[in-house]
Amino acid sequence: MSADPEFENLVKLYYRDLYRFGFSLTGSEVDAIDLTQETFYIWARKRHQLRNPTSVKSWLFTTLHREFLKICRHRKRVAHEPIDESAQNFPHVTADVVNRIDAQTLLNVLGQIDEGYRAPLVLYYLEDLSYKQIGDVLAIPLGTVQSRIARAKIKLLQLLSETKPRTAA
Amino acid sequence: MNTNEAKEKLLLYRERIDDADPRFQEALAQVRRDPELAEWLREQMNCYDAIRSKLREVEPRSDLAEKIVRNQPIPFRRDWTQMLKLAAAIILSAGITAVAMTLWQRDGHRLMQGREIVVKGEVLDLTCYVAYNWSGPKHASCAMDCIKSGLPVGIKTEDGKVYLLTGKEAHVNDELADYAAKIVTVRGKKTARDGFAQIQVEEIRKF
Repeated sequence: MSADPEFENLVKLYYRDLYRFGFSLTGSEVDAIDLTQETFYIWARKRHQLRNPTSVKSWLFTTLHREFLKICRHRKRVAHEPIDESAQNFPHVTADVVNRIDAQTLLNVLGQIDEGYRAPLVLYYLEDLSYKQIGDVLAIPLGTVQSRIARAKIKLLQLLSETKPRTAA
Repeated sequence: MNTNEAKEKLLLYRERIDDADPRFQEALAQVRRDPELAEWLREQMNCYDAIRSKLREVEPRSDLAEKIVRNQPIPFRRDWTQMLKLAAAIILSAGITAVAMTLWQRDGHRLMQGREIVVKGEVLDLTCYVAYNWSGPKHASCAMDCIKSGLPVGIKTEDGKVYLLTGKEAHVNDELADYAAKIVTVRGKKTARDGFAQIQVEEIRKF
């Protein structure tokens, strides 16, 4: 039994969601574990500062994203392909195409999208959050959230349409 | 609203989550009138669901929650201990440096007679190195800050020997801060006091 049941309950409730968010942002199991742990430890240190206890999930996601941005700043930046803002013809990608690739390939493809666009796109797919809630988590305005998700989604579909499924060796 | 405009709007639409969002209502009305658009939207929804399922397939290892709970930091106490340790290390090393500098100034002529050597190694922030064994590229940023702030700077040579680096001028730390955690070659006069080796830097070259 933990000495801090509130902490233990919080971990049990949200560690999966946070881990998936971290994994989708970084594409790395080790980084996802570190980010998830660090997020909960920050909560443990700062819980008394949390103004609205009902928004704890949103706060945890915001914190994990901030920690992710810190990692990005400390690491050598990877040059990402620019996102074509004028893409008029949406790439045609069917569910079958997605179903033929594995999760790691999808994460590798996500990793090719700039961090600033990747985070809103991941939340768009992973969580049942409205655009306003995504904006609150990432501290960006609603209009920016929508435009970033739209551009990132077009880019993701373009990359998926060019991705070959992994074949068994 | 034509079909392309409706598609642009619906690109972000997610069934159930965005049903109540007024931004999508006009385009959704168009979908009800246009079978081809409805088919396109159905494909988009299927693709969205496939990507979502794929991302949600990712599962953390079974002991992650337990590990996080087990390693939970003890609030405040650990932080204060760390702070006190660091403060003690800084005061100690600053004291050593002050004493070393005072003695060096007093016996400056004797130190000047040191043997000239050339060594190659990593530039260290001695405070963190001595207190915590922190060095290397991961610690570069902290090392740079510590050296810039005037804390003792050293060099660890390839054979593991560590020297305190001093200069004739007070700004030796400013010069060396840029080389924090980098491999450099240093030429200077080697002296020692009570078994503690130091090099009075004459020249620094990045390796």
